[in-house]
Amino acid sequence: MVIDSAKCFNCKACIISCQLENGVSAENSRNWIKSNPIETPLGMHFQPGNCMQCDAPTCVDACPTGATYKDPIDGIVKVQNNLCIGCGSCIPACPYGARHHHPVKKIVDKCDYCEDRRASGRPPACVETCPTQARVFGDLNDPDSAVAKLLKSEKTVRIVQAETNTDPVMYYVDQTGPKDWPVKASAPLPIQLWRNVAGPLVKGVVGLTGLGVLVMLGRQLIVKDDHMHSEDSAAHEEAHNGK
Amino acid sequence: MRRLIMVNSNQMLKRHTIDAMLMHWFNTICWVLLLATGVGLVDNPVLQPLGMWWVRIMHAIFGGGPALLKFHIALGAIWSIGFLIYGLFRLRGITIPFIKEMLSFSPRTDIEWLIKKPLSMTIGPKMMQRLGLKPVIPDQGFYNVGQKMFGIPALFGGAVIAVTGWIMTYSQAGIFSQQTVQWAILIHFLAVGLVFAGLLIHIYMASMAKGEGPAFVSMFTGKVPVDYAAHHHKLWLDDLSPDEKDPESSA
Repeated sequence: MVIDSAKCFNCKACIISCQLENGVSAENSRNWIKSNPIETPLGMHFQPGNCMQCDAPTCVDACPTGATYKDPIDGIVKVQNNLCIGCGSCIPACPYGARHHHPVKKIVDKCDYCEDRRASGRPPACVETCPTQARVFGDLNDPDSAVAKLLKSEKTVRIVQAETNTDPVMYYVDQTGPKDWPVKASAPLPIQLWRNVAGPLVKGVVGLTGLGVLVMLGRQLIVKDDHMHSEDSAAHEEAHNGK
Repeated sequence: MRRLIMVNSNQMLKRHTIDAMLMHWFNTICWVLLLATGVGLVDNPVLQPLGMWWVRIMHAIFGGGPALLKFHIALGAIWSIGFLIYGLFRLRGITIPFIKEMLSFSPRTDIEWLIKKPLSMTIGPKMMQRLGLKPVIPDQGFYNVGQKMFGIPALFGGAVIAVTGWIMTYSQAGIFSQQTVQWAILIHFLAVGLVFAGLLIHIYMASMAKGEGPAFVSMFTGKVPVDYAAHHHKLWLDDLSPDEKDPESSA
């Protein structure tokens, strides 16, 4: 998606149409409009946005079940509903706050560029409803698409979180603002601990134990007769003495 | 000590009840399938402990992640409820005596056993002697302390695995917070991993180690030869009443 935020006047039609289209609860939304005070008649510069469908998605890395994935065909970061257990690990792992916990479905909800609409050849709801066509949607890999042409004709920027660059696939026509709002992406502590402590620990302990078993097995196979089971037990010695 | 020579060395002693043996093999089948499917559910290369090839195999067998998840949850429920019912029904006969036996220690000889037994099985008795360690291993009861060191984590680890599994199963019921579910995921993985490490030794000792054949057979027949008991579980044998040692009553 390419967004010309100068065209946005904060009517919020994109947010409402998205909520209606995708059954998003009233207190949540899959998309947003940020604002920046500037010296114009409006006094504000508005900046629409939604999931940036990143090429290095930290949310995908934080998902323990693989329910969140980047679709290799259309490049869109999706949630497979029947694999998501609603643990919410991905939510703080998104620098843009593009994910929320759906209070009714009890799973994580996010923008998928209106998959159902696209399947029937229609653009995403937010794109279709925008009265000023601030949002432009299309295939970046297709040189004839509106987005590809816009990328060629206009100078564009991406909104990137410096510490956690997720390589977003969302372009804004230059002079957009604000740019410093994304937060550092961070998986929740249990997922970090799995990745950095529990994972290596389990691998190490299982590896060492496996090695111990192999040593015992090797010894058993190589050393023919070490009297391990005839002379090393106190019980046996006593039994012999008894006789 | 004299009692030992009074019994015929070919005589068999009753060691396991039929229901305990059935639960052992029920546990075995459940563990194999739950471990295989559980590892297959970690569909994330950053967290997957074995490799994504395993996830692909499991997805291919079960026809995708959601079906794999359903199977894992269903079998996990059968496993945990099965053990809960069994543990409650046989509370006095098996559960409490088993936990008591598992938690009974004789620190001095136990520590000696824990040092010497692994050494004798890896570097061997001759090397132990060269290191100045007498390769005489202290007598043990119904379970040796090595079995207890695995039995306790397996017992309590099993409970932890079951509870965290149920928390994940009901993650969408609105009972648990997202943080609780996240911790349950980590603890489930960690408990399974650590119990599995012990399981490797358990499987080796029970099915491959030299001299342990009668123990393996006893998990099907329920009986061990007196010779075996005298060698491996002498304190248990000493504690048995003459009736229990009698072939007629143990049959």
